[in-house]
Amino acid sequence: MNLSAAAHPGFLSPTGVEITFVLIGLATLGAALLTVTTRQLVHAALWLVVALGGLAVEYLLLTAEFIAWVQVLIYVGSVVVLLLFGLMLTKAPIGRSADADSENRLVALGVAAAAAAALVWVVVDAFRTTWINLHGAVQGSSRATGESLFRHWVLPFEALSVLLLAALVGAIVLSRRDTGSPADTATPADTATPADTADVPAPAAGKEHT
Amino acid sequence: MNDTLDVVLRLIAVLVVFLVLPLLVGQTEHKVMAHMQGRLGPMYAGGFHGWAQLVADGVKFAQKEDIVPADADRRVFQLAPAVALLPYLLVLIAIPVGPDGFVGQTVDAGLIFVLAVMGVGVLGSLMAGWASANKFSLLGGLRTAAQLMAYELPMLLTAASVAMAAGTLSLPGIVDGYHWWWTPWQLVGGVVFFTAGLAELQRPPFDMPVADSEIIFGAYTEYTGLRFALFLLAEYAGIVVLCALTTVLFLGGWHGPWSGSAGWLWTLVKTALLAFVVIWLRVSYPRLREDQLQKLAWTVLIPLSLAQIALTGVVKVVIS
Amino acid sequence: MAPLSGIPGSGLAKGLAVTLRTMTKRSVTAQYPDALPELPPRSRGVIALFEENCTVCMLCARECPDWCIYIDSHKETAPPAAPGGRERSRNVLDRFAIDFALCMYCGICIEVCPFDALFWSPEFEYAESDILDLTHERDKLRDWMWTVPAPPALDPAAEEPKEIAAARKAADKAAAAAAAAAATAEPGQGEQAEQGEQSDRSDRSDDQGKGDA
Repeated sequence: MNLSAAAHPGFLSPTGVEITFVLIGLATLGAALLTVTTRQLVHAALWLVVALGGLAVEYLLLTAEFIAWVQVLIYVGSVVVLLLFGLMLTKAPIGRSADADSENRLVALGVAAAAAAALVWVVVDAFRTTWINLHGAVQGSSRATGESLFRHWVLPFEALSVLLLAALVGAIVLSRRDTGSPADTATPADTATPADTADVPAPAAGKEHT
Repeated sequence: MNDTLDVVLRLIAVLVVFLVLPLLVGQTEHKVMAHMQGRLGPMYAGGFHGWAQLVADGVKFAQKEDIVPADADRRVFQLAPAVALLPYLLVLIAIPVGPDGFVGQTVDAGLIFVLAVMGVGVLGSLMAGWASANKFSLLGGLRTAAQLMAYELPMLLTAASVAMAAGTLSLPGIVDGYHWWWTPWQLVGGVVFFTAGLAELQRPPFDMPVADSEIIFGAYTEYTGLRFALFLLAEYAGIVVLCALTTVLFLGGWHGPWSGSAGWLWTLVKTALLAFVVIWLRVSYPRLREDQLQKLAWTVLIPLSLAQIALTGVVKVVIS
Repeated sequence: MAPLSGIPGSGLAKGLAVTLRTMTKRSVTAQYPDALPELPPRSRGVIALFEENCTVCMLCARECPDWCIYIDSHKETAPPAAPGGRERSRNVLDRFAIDFALCMYCGICIEVCPFDALFWSPEFEYAESDILDLTHERDKLRDWMWTVPAPPALDPAAEEPKEIAAARKAADKAAAAAAAAAATAEPGQGEQAEQGEQSDRSDRSDDQGKGDA
């Protein structure tokens, strides 16, 4: 990204945008914490919507409009819908689920903290004191994003798509029933499954695994 | 100050459009459906051919008791109608009506914005379906989710095809770049987009998630009064948004004779025609079964939209 | 998915065409409270009573499958027609009521009435808010008689109604007899007897005419 390192206004004279940024960041963090701590499964998914939406607003405040809307489109519009779909299939109860808590909560906390620390360190180390000039030309427009994506980052982009494709193919292979000899494997339980799975498109079911 | 006034005026205009056009579509649906079935439709409310029927309906809905089932998840249940309705209000802000900034607010990545926010609206149905603590609602929610996942993809792909043709993601920019031969060029894409949009709105013949004859009214089974009215309003606002979006993307928005002075009228006329088609389809076709629905999306619409993208790319390279 | 008869999708287009064509046609809906329907004679609205014809024979009440007709009557005696003769007795109708909450509009009572005292009336706006009020008494039933339309005209080549045929037969016979008498009779002789016979016959045919009404 095109970041101007010079003449940043300093930390002690925050502008309105910066205050908003911090407040929304806090709200997003709160929603994320609620996502992992709530005992109600569907509420966790809905808090995830709030957290992802908060992230989208943060992108917007940084003038990265395109990224913000893609965030909403992919994460809120598709991933969470998929998640809710999965939860509904498991007949998630209304109210608290006793087994929503994991025994590994300490380990999970450790992994989360380590991941967060690594990410924060990488981002802070990479950008240091660079500041985005919010008042100049828009730096996160679709054109700018597209150019940097397909000029500078085209290799990681393609590598990612290959990775996703591999995941998709793997998911299809895993979720496919063996149709080689239906007469041998057909049991009462097997014959009942086609009606249950007919509603779920194979690629959508595949995405759940990714 | 002038800027503030300008913004406020634009927002008020969008709000008025948001409140009036869906009602117009609803009333048209009453009358058109009736006449297509050899009936008269509402004739009493308001005196002249029942023009005030939906106003009367609104008054009726407002008087009804607002019931939340005892086992329901109260807050999610009560929040769902707003989640279903508000995205369409947001989308209307970004849809250009006429040339020279006749739009609520120009959004740089308007196309992505519109599709993203429309997708959020479906969350309302999912929330309603799960929170109602009703098996029919849950089934409706499941079907909604399955349908959304199947039809979001062709919609995005065809919209991407238009963006490729225009070379921009901005909605006014797309209409600005429009030439008459875009419509035949993007014809397949347009049909796929419109069909997928219908499915996303759960309009007949894609109304499996609300199929009243088998799962009562899907996710909305437990709703009464104003909250139910909000869901209905969301459906009709969705029709307006889908038709306006198809107009902007595939039919050239304000382009037409005398588009300089009456461009906004062209947009409205094309939108109204598409809304008529939506109603027409509802009257003419029976509901698709769930497996037919999924089959149509994955084996017909997605290949077609991929073919459209390929065509767009080839033509774009050839003419540039 | 669509049956591929001819061009694919032609079935879909046909469906659209049907609905569009229907839309351009005038709707046949009758706006009922504003425009009253024109019901043909013998429409099964309500059952009207022409109480002048009723002889309290009770056939209707007995034939009614759900016993919804209530009839009360008493006997009146009239003085003998000729002095020294027997007294004439006659049934007088006191109450004739039909419970339309029970009536199933089968029309058996109307078919069975030998004196043409019951008729179908096309009147149908007799809803009540209490089920007990659906038992309509004889004055109401008599009022409905005014709403009974004339029966439809016969088909062009139809047989004559029995009553008219009988009356015509009698009249023809009388006319033939009169003609024969006129041809054979000598002037002045038997005039008295012939006149007496004629007046007698015309009386009889008059009676029959009344019965038809």
